[in-house]
Amino acid sequence: MGTIAAIHEKLVSKQVSCTELTKAYLKEIENANGELNAYVCVTPDEALQTAAAVDKKIAAGEALGLLEGVPMTLKDNMSTKGIDTTCCSKILTGYKPIFDATVWELLKAQNAVMLGKTNMDEFAMGSSCENSCFGGAMNPFDVNHVAGGSSGGVASAVGGNIAAYGLGSDTGGSIRQPASFCGVVGLKPTYGAVSRYGLIAYASSLDQIGPITKSVEDASIVFDAIAKQDKRDSTSLGAVGGETYSKLTNDIKGMKIGIAREYLDGVRDDVKAAVLDAAKVYESLGAEIVYFDLPVLKFALPVYYIIACAEASSNLGRYDGIRYGYKTAHYTGTHDMICRTRSEGFGEEVKRRILLGTYVLSAGYYDAYYKKATDLRGTIIKAFNDAFAHCDVILAPTVPMTAFEKGHATSDPIETYLTDICTVPVNIAGLPGVSVPCGFNEKGVPIGMQLIGKSFGEATILNAAYQYQQAAPEKFTDTKWGVKL
Amino acid sequence: MVTREDVENIALLSKLFVPEEELDGLTKSMQEIIDFADTISNAPASAEGFDNINNLSNVFREDEVVPSYPASEILKNAPEQAEDHFLVRNRE
Repeated sequence: MGTIAAIHEKLVSKQVSCTELTKAYLKEIENANGELNAYVCVTPDEALQTAAAVDKKIAAGEALGLLEGVPMTLKDNMSTKGIDTTCCSKILTGYKPIFDATVWELLKAQNAVMLGKTNMDEFAMGSSCENSCFGGAMNPFDVNHVAGGSSGGVASAVGGNIAAYGLGSDTGGSIRQPASFCGVVGLKPTYGAVSRYGLIAYASSLDQIGPITKSVEDASIVFDAIAKQDKRDSTSLGAVGGETYSKLTNDIKGMKIGIAREYLDGVRDDVKAAVLDAAKVYESLGAEIVYFDLPVLKFALPVYYIIACAEASSNLGRYDGIRYGYKTAHYTGTHDMICRTRSEGFGEEVKRRILLGTYVLSAGYYDAYYKKATDLRGTIIKAFNDAFAHCDVILAPTVPMTAFEKGHATSDPIETYLTDICTVPVNIAGLPGVSVPCGFNEKGVPIGMQLIGKSFGEATILNAAYQYQQAAPEKFTDTKWGVKL
Repeated sequence: MVTREDVENIALLSKLFVPEEELDGLTKSMQEIIDFADTISNAPASAEGFDNINNLSNVFREDEVVPSYPASEILKNAPEQAEDHFLVRNRE
């Protein structure tokens, strides 16, 4: 039974009140956050208010939805009315949105108990969470290792049991990579499945919100709750592939699981071995493993960085010190004010990506970089479509390595970018991908594998992920932190 | 080849100041990233092209008038405001 169902069971059977449960989570946040640094803002008043409303419903004998009263968290780039939403950037210090993101509106309507907002790389740009203006979130399996990024705070909180689940966002792996590092499940839905309204934009054609959870069934429950069409996001289509929860238990006998050889290139031995062991588990469940080549993957990383930075340079143009957030103290003239505000307010990596994005969009370079990259995006999409003619799901590592030690990721930008090699193709092609724990390295730090599906094929990848979880429950281990149910 | 002048020009377009002492380091790191991006120049020309992910096309709907946020709400986040407007001073 997943964490969400376990909590639901305890609430409806009155083994614990929602207020007691919420207080237990808040207490554990107090105990653990000094080391994990998962939360950047805790909202006890709002959480206890919702908990009281849920308790009232229970007392009145009213039926409770699955997510009702379940304590959770949001990455700090999702707008929450009246609650600080900073993207972990100095430039958004003190910003309190006047509206809710659609995902939060949907969960709030189901009485989700939000405990607070969680840590991230500034504007979701990073792979270790160390680009946060609040300092990085740490790995609950070993606090000398990073939680990963950019949704490191959510993964750390869920892995550390100081949130039952959380929502992250994934532009190039920012849900799946920290989920892999922290030994939890992270689902990046198909582009368009979940509304981006109220998600502070990084790269709009790649960004997608999704759940980070302790189990596959929890990811499925949360995905079904948030995959709704929204007229406020013109790219939103909702759950085109239908709901996923009832299909988790489908038999996967005869399912064709593809392994692209390129996904295993340059992957550390322990990670490769864990993924190939998972393939054996699938074979024992009656699935067929099919090897194939996807040579175009070698262009995925530069294509990703060109497109993401180009879109970021445009999206981040809105931070000007006039309408919200940080403003410089001393200046001479409007241009000077805007430049000083942005130079003082943005961190180093954000500035680097804005500059790079401006470069690839500028006259003389546009065709060679941005245009070429978007053309290649079409080639990559076609290559995936062709691959899915021969298999139902693609199995790959989530990250070529395990969680880095503290401070390791920030030294060399290119080296850090290379860690995204297995996650970015899914964003480029708009496909769904789920990261699932599949082993540990010699230090006991988790290894994750990724299941990639056809467009709107969330039900298929979650079905395959669930069957693996049932067959290999020893890979889903808990940490010492947080609330024990 | 990314030059110091390129970086200065790009920074101006990006509305960012790059302090003189950071200019050489940034030029070098930009050059490394651009070298890395250059790997796509060897990619075969694409036959597919790309417009958007789910092949969406524009659809028209009836215009619906819905209430806007009150200016007073929006201005709550402004560093400075005056008379229901964002305030931008010429110098401070």
